[in-house]
Amino acid sequence: MANFRNTADRWGSGAQLLHWLIAIGIATSMIMGWVMVYLPVSAFKFELYALHKSLGMTLLALVGLRLVWRWVNITPALPAHLPSHEAWLAKTTHRLLYALMFVMPLSGYVINSAANFPLNVFGLVQIPNLVPESEAIGDVASRIHLAVFWGFVVLLIGHIGGALRHHFVLRDAVLRRMLPSAERER
Amino acid sequence: MRRRLITLALALAVTTPAQAASNWQVNHEESRLGFQADQNGRFEGQFNRFTAAMRFAQDDLANSGFDVEIDVTSIDTGSQKRDRELPKSDWFNFDAFPKAYYTAETIRQTDDGYEAVGELTIRDNTHPVTLPFTWETTGDTARMKGDVVIDRIRYGIGQGDWTDPSVVAHDVRVIVDLTLSR
Repeated sequence: MANFRNTADRWGSGAQLLHWLIAIGIATSMIMGWVMVYLPVSAFKFELYALHKSLGMTLLALVGLRLVWRWVNITPALPAHLPSHEAWLAKTTHRLLYALMFVMPLSGYVINSAANFPLNVFGLVQIPNLVPESEAIGDVASRIHLAVFWGFVVLLIGHIGGALRHHFVLRDAVLRRMLPSAERER
Repeated sequence: MRRRLITLALALAVTTPAQAASNWQVNHEESRLGFQADQNGRFEGQFNRFTAAMRFAQDDLANSGFDVEIDVTSIDTGSQKRDRELPKSDWFNFDAFPKAYYTAETIRQTDDGYEAVGELTIRDNTHPVTLPFTWETTGDTARMKGDVVIDRIRYGIGQGDWTDPSVVAHDVRVIVDLTLSR
């Protein structure tokens, strides 16, 4: 039975659940966002926008929860055999990923607020706007939102590539310890 | 002509009660003709320009009535992005239908106020709309408040893809809050 909390060398099921939920959420949201901006104006386009916004706000809450969970848990150490520059690269990538996970939904929230559009998360709860109506603010937030998209693309290539390298090339437990398969680990 | 007017004046003098329905002027600074709609969440808007001929007296409902002309092009939903869509043909089609109208010749007393039985015309589509309202007169000023839900689709507001209620809800609450003087 996997631990809910982290241990010194393994992510607990709490951290794993948050990691994979957010991973699916980010991938879905990025694809959705890319598709919806290129669609011609239609009801479907706006339904995608509504879903994208709801998903983004959900991810913002999940990332907040994840950071808290990280703070109240031990962080499993990187493998001891890792050269220091690789350890630095891994830590920096993770920090940047966390930063983008906040900036992405927040900049989207600002875009929506600056357009003075309402934001109702999954039709369940309406959240207030962050900034007053302003096309200038909306424009800046849009640029940030797009830049963060490309930032994510670069970081995720590094993150996923790194995890696969650890698993298939270095043959260590870095990827496995984020997978729900404690029993099979030796 | 003169004789007719005198006859009319006499007839009115005989039949009209002491408090005849007065013509009230809208104080636009303190009045609002607004609405509440839903587009992935609730938002509010208003028409900044309208004229209203308001005849009303509590004890002369028979001669009370409203005649409102709304400058549709003065619509303001507080979002430039949204307001840029509204003049287009799928929405209000400003070029073809710059005005909307509400006319009520029958005003009735209800349990908690009054109701105006009238007709609303938007984009040349006319449908009956009964507007419940309250009216409080204080000397020569008055406050009239009312609201009613209308179905935007019946008036052709939001056509094509916009008829989908999951994007913009069909029900729109029209909110009238007028300060008047005579």
